[in-house]
Amino acid sequence: MLVFSGLSLKKSFRNMDRNAFIIFLGLMVFFGAFLILPILYVFRGAFFEGGRFTLTYFMLMFTDPFYKESIYNSVVIGVFATLVTSLISIPLAYLMVRYEFPGKRLMQGILLVPLVMPPFVGAIGMKQLFARYGSVNLLLMQLNLIQRPVDWFGGGFWGVILMEALHLYPFLYLNLSASLANIDPTLEEQAENMGASGFHLFRTVTAPLMLPGYLAGSLIVFIWAFTDLGTPLIFEYRKVVPPIIFSMVKDIWVNPMGYALTVLTLVIAVVFVVFSRRYLGRKNYEMMGRGHIVPRIRRVTGWKLPFVYLLLFIMVLGALIPQLSVIITSFANEWFLTVLPTTWTVDYYRTVFTHSVTVTSIINSLKFSLASTSIDIVLGVLIGYLLARKKFPGKDLLDSISMLPLAIPGIVIAFGYVATFSGTSLDPFVDPTILLILSYSVRRLPYTVRAAFSGFQQTSVSLEEASSSVGASPVRTMVSITGPLIMANVLAGGIISFSAAMMEVSDSMILALREEYYPITKAIYGLNLRLGDGPYVASALGIVGTVLVACCLLAANKLLGKSMGELFRA
Amino acid sequence: MVKVTLSGISKYFGEFKAVDDVDLEVGEGELFFLLGPSGCGKTTTLRVIAGFYKPDKGSVYFDDRPMNDIPPYRRNVGMVFQNYALWPHMTSYDNIVYGLKVRDVSPSERVKRARAVLDVVQMREFATRYPNQLSGGQQQRIALARAIVTEPDVLLLDEPLSNLDAKLRIETRHEIKRIQRELGTTSIYVTHDQEEALSMADNIAIMNEGRIEQIGAPRDIYSKPSNSFVAGFIGETNFIEGKVSSIGEEEGLLTIRASSGDEILAGVPHGRFTVGQEVLCSVRPENIRLMDISPNLPGGQVHEGEILHMTYYGVIEHYVVRGFGGKEVKVTNFNPDVKRRDDGERVLMAFDPEDVDVFPF
Repeated sequence: MLVFSGLSLKKSFRNMDRNAFIIFLGLMVFFGAFLILPILYVFRGAFFEGGRFTLTYFMLMFTDPFYKESIYNSVVIGVFATLVTSLISIPLAYLMVRYEFPGKRLMQGILLVPLVMPPFVGAIGMKQLFARYGSVNLLLMQLNLIQRPVDWFGGGFWGVILMEALHLYPFLYLNLSASLANIDPTLEEQAENMGASGFHLFRTVTAPLMLPGYLAGSLIVFIWAFTDLGTPLIFEYRKVVPPIIFSMVKDIWVNPMGYALTVLTLVIAVVFVVFSRRYLGRKNYEMMGRGHIVPRIRRVTGWKLPFVYLLLFIMVLGALIPQLSVIITSFANEWFLTVLPTTWTVDYYRTVFTHSVTVTSIINSLKFSLASTSIDIVLGVLIGYLLARKKFPGKDLLDSISMLPLAIPGIVIAFGYVATFSGTSLDPFVDPTILLILSYSVRRLPYTVRAAFSGFQQTSVSLEEASSSVGASPVRTMVSITGPLIMANVLAGGIISFSAAMMEVSDSMILALREEYYPITKAIYGLNLRLGDGPYVASALGIVGTVLVACCLLAANKLLGKSMGELFRA
Repeated sequence: MVKVTLSGISKYFGEFKAVDDVDLEVGEGELFFLLGPSGCGKTTTLRVIAGFYKPDKGSVYFDDRPMNDIPPYRRNVGMVFQNYALWPHMTSYDNIVYGLKVRDVSPSERVKRARAVLDVVQMREFATRYPNQLSGGQQQRIALARAIVTEPDVLLLDEPLSNLDAKLRIETRHEIKRIQRELGTTSIYVTHDQEEALSMADNIAIMNEGRIEQIGAPRDIYSKPSNSFVAGFIGETNFIEGKVSSIGEEEGLLTIRASSGDEILAGVPHGRFTVGQEVLCSVRPENIRLMDISPNLPGGQVHEGEILHMTYYGVIEHYVVRGFGGKEVKVTNFNPDVKRRDDGERVLMAFDPEDVDVFPF
């Protein structure tokens, strides 16, 4: 057995491309230093004290009532957020894929709007709207529907769930509609032919075939809601894991509890990813038969149409409430015990573009994001090329490790960076620039790798060979043939990576420890804590950031056309 | 013009021997065909010549220059790919002049040469179109123009006609042959279509399972297959199993007893045989004549059979006859001025010993 594997290893070394292998080793050093090492440091911090193995802090998490409750809350928030997004997304996907009605294209655009604003920005506006004496309570009291103000957010718990759901449902919706559109209509027709119809048909044929898409989407939702740091912070809801980890960054050298909680977060996330992959692997039915699928689309007519629009109206309103509330807040001058502001102003926007903190933060974000995106594009093209075109030992490892950041919560990487690099020349307490750039790029690298890889795959090798056969060197071929052909894909991947970096929360919160290095998101958080016009300026800054990101995504959409949704799928 | 020589070329993919110890020589200006069923190693051989694969054993020579360590872009070969591989982001014209730009040919010279090849392939008016605005046949011509504009030492064509419809394929055969003759470039052409090979080639190498079965001119390959694979692969044939029962004085004429009991006189032995040896006889359908059963048998050998069914193709008639102990024997009559025969009719099949090839079984 050993002899045999040695032999096949030798053979794979003989068939490999030497240069590819050297580049592969270089990439491994990069991933080792900025992905694996930080995680190892977190594990060391959680399980070793003074060089001795200990389970004290791990046990403490499950015995101390405060930690126990927080862990429980985090899981429950993840589960509930997933349930609420499911309730929104399943009917929505079914409606949007299977029915045709006037205004459908517009709806497709609007439904993706929540993607562009991070949930914690929306939370600022929602707080204004749903506060104890916020617009909603005031309105209901004026209408005599309630006597006393209602605590809509259940002390922040339900507020977090609601915000996560409203922000995250597009991920599930996109995955669901993709798998629904892929179902060969003859499968359903066959079932109808045998007498199944209506809900029975949906339950027995359609739903099982949608399951892979559902699992992929709900996985993103769960992990995001479970590890989101910004939203609970804005709602000042501290009894969940991420804010506790955040508060422990300061005493990273004295209290190992932060490490233990980070390990727990990582383990839960990885367990979910592994299980759903396993399950998906078994359930991923190949659609047999014809390659091209014409989905069953029915036209909605007559009395059903108003119901469809009512449903969609509720959805749109729900989806846009956070955005609208932030916009209103950002323009509100006097807003005291009234449903809507009594006077309006653009002062907060003026502040955004003049105040040193906000201006610095915009410049910082642009700087960090441009740098991290450049790294992502270079590494993404390199890795995509190696994976699509070259043979070398360790190729599977490179494939898995470059996709690994999708499974690792940002909060884990950020905490790991602080643990690993404090006291070195990259110390985030001194100047977090490099670490911020690296954490942004490591976490978004899967997007550019995937984009570049599919670009290389769509570009037939024979196009490169044809160039070679007429006398072009490999470099020339790359510049004149392959480069232009994969450009659209790579750019789109880069734009996605850029916009994600612009609105990145957990890395920014944890790593940017001094005001002069604040990116936009941390500045929003900082401003929101300030009394007076703080939340209003924070909202204005949030809108500025959102508009920037929206422009980026529109550009990416233009480049990629219909296939953009694919980048958000698991 | 160069001569291409392959000596002892082998290429493995893991355990699979794609090309196994291939020797061949392509003369200057020759149009040489690699013909074989899919998976026989013909495309791999071509890609070894182009330099896209490094052979695991053996060497490639252009004239006397060893090419093994020369990368594809320094070999000065032109290649036409099966899927044409036209660069979708460039016009026809840009596709064609790309190779000239790479070689730093002056702009005025580029225009001149691009025009010349566009004329050769009769595509002048399509120069500004993008590949997706061209039909399959037009793309094929541009791919050919791109491959020849750099005046390569060797032209390689990988199933260039397989994506065209039947009628266009036949027209384009003549077109490619004409262009190859005009240029006089040594060319190696891969195909699995035997008609294509027979009608165009100067010489053909028949490949099977990575090895070369026979090399020769089309006529020789068809009429003198050197083994049963070639006999069965090129054209249609009937195989009849049997044992050698006697060997004639001149050693040319064998008598074979088929497993059905019929005696077959065979005039074309491939190899030396001994009495009692198991052999395979091959008779082509067009060499079998059908005759009425009559008490006065004509000279030569005849065998009884029953017509199973007949298919009418206009210029030929194709019969399937049950004979030689239940075997289905294919028989083709050309220009049928002979009598029409019905299904179920009993007939005699006659053929001459010089039309019977014998191979060791």
